[in-house]
Amino acid sequence: MDVPNLPQLFREKAEAVQVVVRDAADLAEACRYAMEIARRQGGTAIAAPGWDPEVLSLLQDQCGQARIEVLTANLRGQADRLHTGFTRADWGIADTGTIVLDSSSEDLRLATMLSEIHIAVLPQSRLWATSFDLEEELNRLAQSPPRYLSFITGASRTADIERVLTLGVHGPLELHLLLLKDCRP
Amino acid sequence: MINTAQDLKEYKKRLKRALNNQFLRAAMGAFAAAYKEAQGRLLAGVDVAGLSREIAAGKDAALPRLPELYEAFKAKAEAAGVKVHLAATAQEANEIIAAIARDNGVKKIVKSKSMTAEETFLNDHLEKAGFEVVETDLGEWIIQLRHEGPSHMVMPAIHLSRQEVADLFTQVTGEKQEPDIGKLVKVARRELRKHFLSAQMGISGANFAIAETGTLGIISNEGNARLTTTLPQVHVALVGVDKLVPDLATALRVLKLLPLRATGQVITSYVSWITGANECRPAAGGKKEMHVVFLDNGRLALAQDQVFSQALRCVRCGACANVCPIYGLVGGHNLGHVYIGAIGLILTYFYHGRKNARAIVQNCLNCQACKAVCPAGIDLPHLIKETYCQVLQGEEKRPLKNRLLRQVLKDRRIFHFLLRRASLVQKPLATGEGFWRHLPFFFGKEHEFRRLPVIARVPFRDLWPRLYQKVEKPRYRVALFGGCLVDFVYPEQGVALMQLLKDQKVQVEYPLGQTCCGLPAQMMGEKEVAREVALQNLAALDPADYDFLLTLCASCGSHIKEAYPKLVAGEPGASAKMQQLAAKLIDFSSFFAKVLKVKPEMFKVAQKRVAYHSPCHLCRGLGVTQEPRELLATAGLDYVAAKDEDTCCGMGGSFSLEFPELSAQVLAKKLDAVEETGADLLVTDCPGCVLQLRGGMAKRGSKVKVKHLAEALAEAKK
Repeated sequence: MDVPNLPQLFREKAEAVQVVVRDAADLAEACRYAMEIARRQGGTAIAAPGWDPEVLSLLQDQCGQARIEVLTANLRGQADRLHTGFTRADWGIADTGTIVLDSSSEDLRLATMLSEIHIAVLPQSRLWATSFDLEEELNRLAQSPPRYLSFITGASRTADIERVLTLGVHGPLELHLLLLKDCRP
Repeated sequence: MINTAQDLKEYKKRLKRALNNQFLRAAMGAFAAAYKEAQGRLLAGVDVAGLSREIAAGKDAALPRLPELYEAFKAKAEAAGVKVHLAATAQEANEIIAAIARDNGVKKIVKSKSMTAEETFLNDHLEKAGFEVVETDLGEWIIQLRHEGPSHMVMPAIHLSRQEVADLFTQVTGEKQEPDIGKLVKVARRELRKHFLSAQMGISGANFAIAETGTLGIISNEGNARLTTTLPQVHVALVGVDKLVPDLATALRVLKLLPLRATGQVITSYVSWITGANECRPAAGGKKEMHVVFLDNGRLALAQDQVFSQALRCVRCGACANVCPIYGLVGGHNLGHVYIGAIGLILTYFYHGRKNARAIVQNCLNCQACKAVCPAGIDLPHLIKETYCQVLQGEEKRPLKNRLLRQVLKDRRIFHFLLRRASLVQKPLATGEGFWRHLPFFFGKEHEFRRLPVIARVPFRDLWPRLYQKVEKPRYRVALFGGCLVDFVYPEQGVALMQLLKDQKVQVEYPLGQTCCGLPAQMMGEKEVAREVALQNLAALDPADYDFLLTLCASCGSHIKEAYPKLVAGEPGASAKMQQLAAKLIDFSSFFAKVLKVKPEMFKVAQKRVAYHSPCHLCRGLGVTQEPRELLATAGLDYVAAKDEDTCCGMGGSFSLEFPELSAQVLAKKLDAVEETGADLLVTDCPGCVLQLRGGMAKRGSKVKVKHLAEALAEAKK
């Protein structure tokens, strides 16, 4: 498969499972997007574990003006308040529209599960064609436990009642992916 | 609680009840149609056969090494802070898990879906031990609240309507709930979220246990598995020991096909790979108390079984139910004890015993749809018959029909004598079209869905001396295998074949020592009889004497090709000869299209609209799909495609006699689809299908005639 087509394929496959895919020029734009989604839907708190201090301060700047609180730790005790989970994705798998998160941190797992909306930022350089391309990397991580790796493809879904597809049964009702423009190595 | 029919009489009552359940019928029918459509769309361009072969090979390589893989997993997982247990029995697994709960002061347990926990009836055990257990998969929660077992491995509540779920949720919440699926799902989210946050222990299953790294792989769409393994302080995974795989690559391969076959998804919403005791803030030391309980329950022995080990390739996708014509009529509670569908008929015997298996295991058409869809390439119909064999061996007394068959079928002379006698007796009762005017008294009313043919006045073998032609310098030497239906019911099909072969320079022999192919015996679990007649046929048809063994019957053909070598596997001498016999077998369509390569010049220009029924044992059994359609075109017949051409006609040999009501329903769908095409003629290339389809069309008074392809071609011949 041609490398330049990966973002295109990834977008197609993710959109096929109701994921909202957007391009983001930089992390500031991504932070603004997260804040906007939360504000528009009346959310009062964004869970944003695992970010560098610079990104956090970008997000806090945005959210402060909108009076949205940014939570970074101890999410378990604040389960009721989480509206948006804003996280990084470690890798993307194009042929299934999947993001891969090393969610060994409890807070990262909870931000991506207990929130109503999950927004993940995926740098384009971290996109691979198939899961097999990631095999070595995933094995390397599993060799240094404890490790909790997650493949996430679309929002939480069920078809358990009359096979009617319904989103958001336990986890997020929506998944948004922001493809971050960066250079491929 | 689960209560599976223990005998055929009770079972048939339940089947009748299921057939009368209009919601179930509509839901199952819609599901089957949607599944088929999605499979066609999603699998275009996917190398399904290649992936299946890889998955099967991966599993087959792992199964003999399970003890070694277990040790490797245990070493890795324990080094990462996980406690690993191996339970020999279901009871032992349940006790280990209850003890973990007690040791950790657990009161409430949340569970994500685990078929293995269903197998051990873990919930019952834990509830009796005083724990509160809440299923969190929506479908599992619904059936838990209703005290039922799953009716599908992936969609456990598929038998219920939104109204039934709304009524249930009204009871549970004490508030009136509307039958609106979106709202009902919200109710579940709200109610179950409380349980997730207050439970002290989470129990999950696992789809993979990766030995190389001590990693569990868990797939889920709802995300309840992630919450179950994250929120409570204690996580216990109950995993069948057959879920051990050597490495991640093996698991990733399964993941390529499992969701596609299960629900028509490219991948499930979530796949979690858990290695070691992960962070859990409220737990002691901030680390999860994690246990993996591997369940043996016969699996380690089954893995060494020469016939049945392939049952352990199962990845629990449920596809064998999705495509089963019977499942599509009566649903899962009538097609399995805990495990559902084709694999359920087999696993019920091994995990839940003969009494639970003895009736349901007979409910198989042998149509091979499950085998064709299985992502691990399990020969499900074969294993179902082998299971029935095992069941019969354990019974005190075989059914009367089996005892009769054992007496009659083994001796060709007695068998053929009885058929000739029947022909005399029925004479005054036969119509001009060769049907019984009225069915004999021993057939109940439920058999009246089709008209039955009478035995031919002169069997094919008696016509043979007149039909035989000596051919000088033949291109091919062919032995014809008639099979009971061509020989004794439809000799005209054999006559048509001989007309077609005129001037083809083919030397045909019809060795009179040949007898029934033995498939009816195999269907009834009488493997020993099947083996014996196979050897009789081998003696009558020495493969050294001819180039091809030609048959007009797809069922005989696929039985000879597939089952014969298995029946004598490893037997000195017979094994090699039988392989040669099987290798020479060819069906009518392939012989005419690929070997003789007949040309349009051989035929008149016909003006008939023709529909085609693809016999199960031809399209899936022998893998022949294009040739019959090519022949129709060659013969100038106007072929119109019908819906679901490759779905079973409902005959299934003795199946249609044992379960006439099911056979009638499968047939009705088929006939409707054919009539919709507006064809004048329905053609197929198996006399068994002709019997079913012609009898059904005649019963409806349809204008559509039904013929064997050989007859249709003979009529079109110049």
